[in-house]
Amino acid sequence: MEATGSRAHGGDGVAGAGEAALACTGLTIRFGDFTALADVTLSLAPRRIHAVCGQNGAGKTSFARACAGLIAPADGAIAISGRPLRAGQVADARAAGVELVHQSFALPPSFTVAEAMEFGLTGRAGAIYTRRGLQARWAGHLRALGVEAKPSARIRDLPVETQQAVEIARALAGEARILILDEPTAVLSPTATEALFARLRRLRDTGVTILIILHKIREVLAVADTVTVLRGGRLVAGPEDAGSVTSDSLARAIIGAPLRPAADAAADAAAGSVSRDDASEDLAALVGAATPHGMSRHPETATRRVAELAGVSTRPATDGQRLDAVDLVVRAGEILGIAGVEGNGQRPLVEALAGLVPLARGAVALDEADVTALSLAERRRRGLRIIPFERNTEGLSLSSPLWENFAARSLLGRSALALIDPKRLRGEAEAAFATWDVRYGSVENPARSLSGGNAQKVILAREIDAEARLIIMAQPTRGLDLGATAFVWQAMREARARGLGLILISSDLDELFDISDRVVVLQGGRVAGRFDPPYDLAAVGAAMVGGDH
Amino acid sequence: MRARLAAVGRAVAFVALALVLCGAIFEVAGFSAPDMFAAILDGAFLSDGALAHDLRWACPLFVSATGVVIAFRCGYFNVGTQGQFYLGGIGAAVAVAGLPGWPPLLVTVAALLLGTLFGALWAFWPGWLRIRSGTDEVITTLMGNFIAGLLLVWVTSGPLKDPSGSGQVTASRPVPLPIRISSDTGVSPAILGLTVAVGALVWVLVNRTAFGVLGGLAGRNPVMVTWQGARLSRLGLGAFLLSGATAGLAGAMEVLGPDGRLVSGFSPAEGFTAVLIALVANLSVTGSVIVALFFGGLASASLYLPVIAGLPSAAIDMVNAAIALFITSRAWPSRFRPARFRLRRASR
Repeated sequence: MEATGSRAHGGDGVAGAGEAALACTGLTIRFGDFTALADVTLSLAPRRIHAVCGQNGAGKTSFARACAGLIAPADGAIAISGRPLRAGQVADARAAGVELVHQSFALPPSFTVAEAMEFGLTGRAGAIYTRRGLQARWAGHLRALGVEAKPSARIRDLPVETQQAVEIARALAGEARILILDEPTAVLSPTATEALFARLRRLRDTGVTILIILHKIREVLAVADTVTVLRGGRLVAGPEDAGSVTSDSLARAIIGAPLRPAADAAADAAAGSVSRDDASEDLAALVGAATPHGMSRHPETATRRVAELAGVSTRPATDGQRLDAVDLVVRAGEILGIAGVEGNGQRPLVEALAGLVPLARGAVALDEADVTALSLAERRRRGLRIIPFERNTEGLSLSSPLWENFAARSLLGRSALALIDPKRLRGEAEAAFATWDVRYGSVENPARSLSGGNAQKVILAREIDAEARLIIMAQPTRGLDLGATAFVWQAMREARARGLGLILISSDLDELFDISDRVVVLQGGRVAGRFDPPYDLAAVGAAMVGGDH
Repeated sequence: MRARLAAVGRAVAFVALALVLCGAIFEVAGFSAPDMFAAILDGAFLSDGALAHDLRWACPLFVSATGVVIAFRCGYFNVGTQGQFYLGGIGAAVAVAGLPGWPPLLVTVAALLLGTLFGALWAFWPGWLRIRSGTDEVITTLMGNFIAGLLLVWVTSGPLKDPSGSGQVTASRPVPLPIRISSDTGVSPAILGLTVAVGALVWVLVNRTAFGVLGGLAGRNPVMVTWQGARLSRLGLGAFLLSGATAGLAGAMEVLGPDGRLVSGFSPAEGFTAVLIALVANLSVTGSVIVALFFGGLASASLYLPVIAGLPSAAIDMVNAAIALFITSRAWPSRFRPARFRLRRASR
C-alpha cells in the first residue's frame, strides 16, 4: 500500500461495480496560502462503504466538505454518478443525493426530533405545521431506520449516539444516495461504534454509498469495503479493497514513515532501551493499530497520595453533568486514566479538583492535606496544575501576547500590586518555550498565531513546572497531529518519572490504555469500573455504557 | 512595534475621516468647511496661548480617561465616568464646605481625597452588582450618570447652594482662593503635577504590575484567568474602584481648579469624551496623553467656532460624535465583544 500517484480509476477491489458514485479529478482546495488538498483524483464505486483515513491535517474533512458542496475547490472537478457538481453549491450536491453528517452535530439542541427532521430538509419553508402532524410524518421513517428516538423528544435530551442516529436519519430523509460521515466515531463508545457500523452496513445493503472518515485503523478494518489514505493533502493510496490491507501497511501509509520492524523493537527492549520502545509503541497506538501495555506499570510500593477525592458529589451543572460519590486516589509517580463517554462527569471532576464548583458532599485532598475549602489559587500554590479541556478558551487567551499567557500562572502567585519586569517575564517565556520546543515568531505575538500543537506546548510549558505535584490533563491531545500527540505523551511520561501524579482524561481508549497505570471509568458521574493493565477493551467499553462486566 | 504604528495610523485615519465627514455635512448645510477647519486649527493650536487653553481641558480629560483605560482593559465597560466625575466634584465641595477654618492646604488635600473617594464609591455599586449577579455594567453605570446629574442639581440647589446666587445658575459658594489649585485659567503647577502623577501611576499600574497584566488577560479572556486561579470578582472590583477614583479626582480638580465652585451640570461632555479618548488611544496610557491634548484642543476651539466660522459651538460635539462613530465601529466588534460574551459564562 505505497504511494501510487494519481490514478484516473481506483477501485482495485470494485470490479463490476459500474459507474462511480463519486469521482473527482485533480481536486485541489486552498485556504489562503495553505493547501488542504492537492490534486486528488479518485473514484468511488456505488453501494460500498469507503473509508478515508489520515492524520489530522491530512485533508480528510476538506475532502468531505468539498464533496458535499460546502467548499468550492480551487481546482479540479467532482462528479456524482457521472454528473458534474457545480463547485461549492450545497443545493446542487443535495439534489444529486449527497448528504454530510458533520463532525460536530448540526442539529439544533432545542428542536424535537421531528422538527429537526422536517427543517433539515430544504424547499419546504412556508407551510404550516402541527406538532402532531410532524411527529406522525417522521415516526415511520425513524422506525424504518431503526432509530430508537421518540419524535417528540428534544435533541438535547438524547444520548450522543442517538443524536448521531437522528442526524443520519435526517440526512437520509430525502433521496440521499451518498452519505458522508466525518469522524462519526470520535464521540462514541465502543459499543455505540459497533452499532453505528451495523447501521452503516444495513444502509449499504439498501443501496446507499457511504463515505466515512476515520482515523483509527481498527475501525477502518472493521467497517470499510475500500480504504483511501490521504497524507498532507495528497492521495497516498486507494481506494484499495479493505481485504488486501493490513493494519501494518495502513499505519505505514498514514504516517508516511515505516514502523520499526518488531524484531528491532524487541532487541531494543532487551537492551533496556525503554524510551525508544515507547516511541514505536506510541506510533502504533496513535493510529489505533495496537494497544500496547508494555509501558504501563503499576507502582508496587504505596507512595504519597498527591490527590484524593473522598465521596465527592456535585450538584448537576447546566449541562446536567455531576459527580456522584466519587472516590479516587492518585499517587506520586503514576498516571491515572479517566475513561468514559464524554459528558459523564469528566468536567465536574476537573472542576471539583480545581475548586471551581462547590461540593455537595465529600472532600478533596492534595498532597495528603485537605483542600476542600481552598480556592483554586491556593490549590495551585500547593502544586495543582491543569491542562483544561478547551485549549483556546480555558487554556489560553488567544488575543493576548504569548508571554502574558505564559506569565499568568506565576503572576497569580504574587500580590496584585507587585511590580513586575516585563523584559524578564518575556525572557522567562522565551527560555521555557525553547525548552519545550515551541515554534513561534515572537513572544509579543498573540497566542492565536500558534498551531494547535504549539499552543498546547505553551500550556504544558506553563503548567509543568518545578513546583507541580499533580497535573490534570483534560483531553490533552485532542485535535493534535501525531507528532504533537507523541510529544504530549513524552511530557507525561517524564512528569511521571519525576514523581508527579497525573490524571489523564481522554475519550481515546487507545491513548488511555497506552499510557495509564490504572484506568477508572466514569459513567453518569459515578465510578463505573476500575481497571489495571492489561486492559480488557470489552470490559472497559461495557463499563462506559453502563453494562456490567 | 509595527503593530503599534499601525494602531496609531488607524486612529489618525479615523479622526481625519470624521473631520472630513463633518466638513462635508457643514458644507451641505451651507456653512464653510474651510472656515470651520481654520477656526478649529486656530482655536486649538495656533492662536496665542492655545496650548494653555488646551491644557485647561486636556488635564481633567486625561485623568478621567486613565480610569476608562483601567476598566476597559480589564473587560469592564464602565461608561459611568460622567457620574463618577460629578460625584468627585460633589465630594470636593462637601470637604470645602465642611472644613471651615482648617488650614487651606489641608482642606485642598482633603477635598481631593474625598472627591476621589466619592468617585470610587459611585463606581462601587455597579461593580458590585456586576460581580455578584452579572448585572450589565454598561446599563448601571450609564443610569448612574443620570442619577449623579440629578444629585448634583439637588446638592447645588439645596445643601450647598450659594445663597447669594442670582438664581439663574445653581451653584455652590465659590471655593476660597487659598484652597483652589489653579486660577480660572485652569493651568497651574498643581494641576499639571497632579495630572502627571496620575498618568505615571496608572502607567505603572497597567504596564508594570501583576494587576495590569492579569487584568489585560482577564479583559480578553476571563475564562482563562479563572482557570489560572484568578478571582475575577476581586480583579473586577479593583478595576471599577480605581476607574471611579480617577474620574472622581478629575471632578475634584475641576471644582478646585478652573471652575472654582460646584456648578450644576458642569463639563457635561467629560465622561463621553474621556471614553472616546481611551478608545482612540487604543487603551494605552501614553497614547491617551496625545489624544487628550487633541480633544482638549477641540474643546477649547469650540469657543472660536461661533466667532470665526459662524457655527454654533456645538459643532464640536458633532466632530466628537463622528469620531466616536468611526472608532467604536472598529473597536467594539474585534476587541471587546467576544470578551463580553465569555464574561457571562466565566462568572457563573
